[in-house]
Amino acid sequence: MSGLSLSVPLVGELNREEQLVAGGVVGFVALLAVAVVAGIIEPTYLLFLLSLAGMYLLLSMGLNVHWGYTGLINFSVAAFFGIGAYGTALLTASGSPLASSMYPPILGFGIGILGAALVAVLIGIPTLRLRADYLAIASLGLAEVIRLLILNEREWTAGSQGISAIPRFWYPLFSGSSPDWAPSALDPLFTTSLNALQTAFLNFLLVVVLIIAVYAILKRLHRSPWGRVQRTIRSDQDLAEALGKDTYSFKMQSFVLGSVIMAIAGAFYAHLNLFIAPGDLNPIRTFYVWVAVILGGSGSNRGAVLGGFVIVLIIEGTRFINGIAAIPFDIAPLRLFLIGLLIVLIMKFRPQGILPPQAELIWPSATRGEDDE
Amino acid sequence: MSLLLQLIANGIVYSGIIVLASVGLSLVYSIADFANFAHGDTMAVGAYGAFATIGVLTSMGLTATIWGFPVAFFVALLVGMAVAAVVAVLTHKIVYEPMDVGSIGMLITSIGIAFLYRSVIQMRFGAIMQSFGVQRFGPIPELQAALGIAVTRRDLLIVAVSLTLVVGLHLLLQYTTLGRKMRATADNRSLAKVSGIRTGRVLVSMWVIGAALAAAGGVFIGLNANIYPRMGFDILLLVFAAVILGGIGSVYGAMLGGFVIGMIHELTPLFQTRLGIPIGTEYAPAIAFLLMVGILLWRPQGILGGSNT
Repeated sequence: MSGLSLSVPLVGELNREEQLVAGGVVGFVALLAVAVVAGIIEPTYLLFLLSLAGMYLLLSMGLNVHWGYTGLINFSVAAFFGIGAYGTALLTASGSPLASSMYPPILGFGIGILGAALVAVLIGIPTLRLRADYLAIASLGLAEVIRLLILNEREWTAGSQGISAIPRFWYPLFSGSSPDWAPSALDPLFTTSLNALQTAFLNFLLVVVLIIAVYAILKRLHRSPWGRVQRTIRSDQDLAEALGKDTYSFKMQSFVLGSVIMAIAGAFYAHLNLFIAPGDLNPIRTFYVWVAVILGGSGSNRGAVLGGFVIVLIIEGTRFINGIAAIPFDIAPLRLFLIGLLIVLIMKFRPQGILPPQAELIWPSATRGEDDE
Repeated sequence: MSLLLQLIANGIVYSGIIVLASVGLSLVYSIADFANFAHGDTMAVGAYGAFATIGVLTSMGLTATIWGFPVAFFVALLVGMAVAAVVAVLTHKIVYEPMDVGSIGMLITSIGIAFLYRSVIQMRFGAIMQSFGVQRFGPIPELQAALGIAVTRRDLLIVAVSLTLVVGLHLLLQYTTLGRKMRATADNRSLAKVSGIRTGRVLVSMWVIGAALAAAGGVFIGLNANIYPRMGFDILLLVFAAVILGGIGSVYGAMLGGFVIGMIHELTPLFQTRLGIPIGTEYAPAIAFLLMVGILLWRPQGILGGSNT
């Protein structure tokens, strides 16, 4: 797995944009550190924000598989996010209308992922044969169908009131009481209760692990023959077909893979936020993720990282603006305005994104020969 | 029987609104060549333009009425159409025209434009539901006696104005020089250009017509129920369904598609009463979306197909 080497390049090897981004990231981290030390931001809240950014990053990496690798315009991100979140929430929450007993969240994750894979195939069968712009409209429509189902099938999903009392991901670990089936040697694991900061830290740790795992898998896949076929489909589908590739099957694989990553993000969100409602499946979430991907650079995983953080900066940062300055209107339209402006500006001035894929598409060994000369 | 008649009457009214929106979306699709996700929010721009105008005119003391409707409402309808047209042309000139990103890039850009429209509306008017404050009359007694259905003056007005606008567009497209140029441009932009048609001007007229019709649709949504910033986006997918159903790029297809989608949307209760399938009206949009996907699979070029504008 030599493709996994997360080597840090020297400043001199970066191009101008990369230097600017790196500088901005360092400056922003310093700013956050100062804010925490000065007591402006609670460490618990900072960890929550970072976990949320990690969640958007997972969603962006999922969409990057669809749009960045294969060129599928999928506008149903919110639906797969919701399937992951509802999949785990319905099984694990004590407030769930479906399950009377709380199953451990790890099982909920599994069900969310299975559900997303299943729905991805069901949505993919009719839509993946469609032209690019038709796929966009059809997937948005089907995502709305899923949202309407969750909103209206109250006896299954609790409808608009949403599902509350979702346990933390670590349940029943650290829950304060040891279950009967656990050997008594493990009691301390169960009976220890965590304070808010510890919980926030564990959540953050979880999302970091998820991100590293997904990133590693995607990086490996993207550089594999499978990834090369996906890139060929993206740039010229006819060419891929002429080369004898079953483009429909490759698109379906990409669609399922990306959707599963989105469901993982949704399941993580359910256990981070501890509450999920149909409003979380609004199309706006899909477009947040789209902004993250096109801002970072379509097809670029590190771009998705940057985009995910910028989106959380806008969504959560606008809350601060509201707290600090007395602006004469609600924050919701300001957020919408910034997102809209960002989309237009990116598409107008830098449609390839801030960090478009460059070297990350190429095996290091492929260029090594030239460097040796 | 009267339930069926009633639902058909409702369907005709709702169709009027969808048709107005569909025609504009179809025009943009065929001439500017991208799926304009800002079209729904253009409807909202028109509706709020009219809303502001009614407020101003009423405060100026314009209280005269025509057939029970305030004159201010009709003026506001025209102003709303004009506002939406100006906003659309400005957007075209400032954003779309100088761009060179292909139809998918344009589609994504239009999402950004949609958010900009909606956020500005929300900043100015708030997120709450509002109404035009036009006096409500009950069902027209003669129609209720004759057919047993409740049809209000608002319903008749919406249908009459929608019909007028659609027939007007038909005459424009078929019998005027501008219409001929528009059809030529939609059919083949490069060929139209080398034939000496100033396609830039055609594009501007297209935005004016499309946005004005969308605005009328938006105003009628407001007249029928309420206005709120997300109103246009909430109806956008139905409009896309109508346009796809009729065949993207075909204006007459869009009219037909709009009629069908509007009808299906309002006839949803029949699933329950006639077929015994327990699907409530809350699934009316879902049924339209599923129909759209079905049409895309069965006949991607739509019912009327091609760009025979």
